[in-house]
Amino acid sequence: MANFSVQIYQNEFLSDNATDVHAVASVACTDAGTAGHSGGGSAAEIILIDTSGSMDLPPTKITAARRAAKVALDEIVDGTQFAVVAGFNNVEVVYPNSFTLATMDANTRQQAQNAITRIRPGGTTAIGLWVNTATDMFLRSQATQRHAILLTDGRVEGEEPQVLSQAIARATGVFQCDCRGIGENWDVEQLRRISTALLGTVDIVADPHDLEADFKQMMRESMSRGVSDARLRIWTPQGSEVLFVRQVAPEVQDLSDRAERISPLIVEYPTGAWSDGSRDYHIAVRVPVAPVGNERLAARAEIVVGDTVVAKGLIRAVWSGDVDLTTRIDPAVAHYTGQANLADAIQKGLAAKAAGDDRTATVLLGQAAKLAHDTGNESTTRLLAKVVDLVDVEAGTVRLKREVQKADEMALDTRSTKTTRIRRTEPSAAPSEGGGLPAPDPAAAAPAGTDPGTPA
Amino acid sequence: MTDSPIVAGTVPAAHTSADISADISADVSTCTNCGAAVGPNDGFCEECGHTLRHDAVAAAPDAAPQPLPGATQIISASSVIASASPTTAPKPPCALCGHEVLDDGFCSNCGAKALSKRDHWTEAPRADLAGVCDKGISHARNEDGMALAVGGGPEDFSDGRMVILVCDGVTTAPESDRASLAACIDGSNALLSAPVAPEGAAAAVTHWTEQIRICGVAANAAAVGVAHTLGDPPEPPSCTFVAAVAVAAPDASSTLIAVGWCGDSRAYWFGDDGDGRQLTVDHSLGTEMIASGMTAAEAEAQPTSHTITRWLGADSVNPTPEIMTMTPTSAGWLIVVSDGMWNYASSPPALALVMLRAAADLGPAATPLTIAESMAAWANEQGGHDNITVALGRINDPTLSTPSIPASTS
Repeated sequence: MANFSVQIYQNEFLSDNATDVHAVASVACTDAGTAGHSGGGSAAEIILIDTSGSMDLPPTKITAARRAAKVALDEIVDGTQFAVVAGFNNVEVVYPNSFTLATMDANTRQQAQNAITRIRPGGTTAIGLWVNTATDMFLRSQATQRHAILLTDGRVEGEEPQVLSQAIARATGVFQCDCRGIGENWDVEQLRRISTALLGTVDIVADPHDLEADFKQMMRESMSRGVSDARLRIWTPQGSEVLFVRQVAPEVQDLSDRAERISPLIVEYPTGAWSDGSRDYHIAVRVPVAPVGNERLAARAEIVVGDTVVAKGLIRAVWSGDVDLTTRIDPAVAHYTGQANLADAIQKGLAAKAAGDDRTATVLLGQAAKLAHDTGNESTTRLLAKVVDLVDVEAGTVRLKREVQKADEMALDTRSTKTTRIRRTEPSAAPSEGGGLPAPDPAAAAPAGTDPGTPA
Repeated sequence: MTDSPIVAGTVPAAHTSADISADISADVSTCTNCGAAVGPNDGFCEECGHTLRHDAVAAAPDAAPQPLPGATQIISASSVIASASPTTAPKPPCALCGHEVLDDGFCSNCGAKALSKRDHWTEAPRADLAGVCDKGISHARNEDGMALAVGGGPEDFSDGRMVILVCDGVTTAPESDRASLAACIDGSNALLSAPVAPEGAAAAVTHWTEQIRICGVAANAAAVGVAHTLGDPPEPPSCTFVAAVAVAAPDASSTLIAVGWCGDSRAYWFGDDGDGRQLTVDHSLGTEMIASGMTAAEAEAQPTSHTITRWLGADSVNPTPEIMTMTPTSAGWLIVVSDGMWNYASSPPALALVMLRAAADLGPAATPLTIAESMAAWANEQGGHDNITVALGRINDPTLSTPSIPASTS
């Protein structure tokens, strides 16, 4: 049985008339078990492979895709329902033979792997159709935990743009989707829209040789998600307002758009399936003022599985006249605010660069370089260094490189949301002593597309 | 003075200083507020933020005078189990908005933190004696202590004695809330178990002067004991001290009041005949400023005027109480307050006026308890910048028909 815990990091002290409470809720899951085997219903997997004509240019892409899909099948636990779908300007179910899901066992796995060998590229790219197909197949199955891997090497070209938007809306809440782009001709924004709405990850696989290991890792991670669905429930007091709820680790993702109002005081945010590991959420609430000396609850942060609250953290507000207490910023809140700003600066900086606004791009990527340096985010600093010359990171001075590999820019873009973790420290029990001073821990930075703590 | 029955409905079963001490003093393994499991070294409940205490700081009044090691802990732990089980005792609704308070100790609607018993409690051991001890608004915790008691129980000494203890913990010394409550409980036990005075008015004065001194020794020992429990910190917990006892003469013709004090918690007398006065003289820099020529108003405006020069605790240079006695012949009110109250009404007429208005507003509902609660509420309306304790004893008035107010105190 999975165990959840919620740990709150915050400075609960507010100065007179202050209203805004910021906290980081660190949610940890242990003993998650295996997808489809933890009492929460059955699991289903669909592997969506781009088989458009460009996958043959060069043919290493389609070769890598075939190999990666086969390896992913090896990771799917017996009993899981599954399918392999080839996508181009149409779709074709590679395995089984119809738009239904097969049940994984040694025999079906072998048949599916044989079928993958026969995939031949041709046609254009219609990602919206692929997503719609997966939605239909999942909805026809009895599975309760549904996950897909989507691989493409190109951008939507064989269908109207609104088809993808509609497909994403339809798929939201039906299945989770990890997206991978191979090569340099796909669109980061398109895949990010899918992965964000469908609670998955997005990354670039620049070298086709890396695809196999990536698929293996993604499917292993999916299979380790023994908790099919958990929701973050935020209670706030009468007269208050949730300013934002943002996942900040292992990667930055604003959850505000996913809010579902349950009651006047309660909103819920879907967080998808869980494996062992932890995710951190930055929660900001605006509460009514109370007199100095008063304590109020600013929020209850709860994890809900099914209809059960499985873990809970309290975000407090204590109004104080003691400036030493009220001016302190909680280190976790400060750190993750910096990480969110870092992601924002990178994405906006790259957008400005793409639009030819070198001035803005230089300023924003300079800010990003400084933030990455200041917060110990070494992997992002490395990615930045491939796009800009780091003249003086402490001052945030950079120069745009004249020659930049497109893949490096795309890697920086897709991985801009990866955050370094705050080292886990027990917050001090006494509020007067504050929440301890956890330091950034670059070593704990999550590898792309995984929750830290996932069993290897 | 007769032993009037307790005013009906005014004394919640678990709301005495001893219960509160037991509640917060047991070697807890569950939070006394929400019932969640807590570790042995937690200062606060992880679930609800409730302040936790781990060591017995004071024996309950019915404990043996020299308990065996661990005996008080056993008593305290059982009290906790009896009085603080969240499943058996429904929580009172939120004091601010009236909605349900959840097990995490906060309101389900407005998020207000439910007051702990230590934050606010009342005592009314007899119809003529009641008090309220309240956190106030600005302070994070209630460091005032209060213990009220009357003769008439199994150890009745037939003098109908009324005992009032008020101690104000020193905010700058950590854990002073424990010292103040422990001092109050042990001090009140000392006065409650004191023998009756020998015959004769002069002998009674001598006797009760000595008993107040003994009470001061017991209270100081309790405060020092808390410091020992804490491992003798460099800034040991400390508190002020006021002990008042009122004892009827054998022929009930008069009442002897004896008051001892250290620091700036105060006792007042408001006689129905218009005799209103402060019985104590603060041991504070403010008093010294006045002695050197400042007016009371000027002195009270000085930031250091509240710095006390005598207190109880391990670092006290002089924990010996100053003692006075009086024998009022008219009916009247014995009032003991902490500075959280008198800060807003320092002079006897000013404080009497607060009391007068409270009683007038209450009308027929005026009792020592309701008046004390109303006065504390008034102090909170003035800002509640400090913890507030108000204890009221009605003297020389066996009927208690209408709590009367000094006629000419202005």
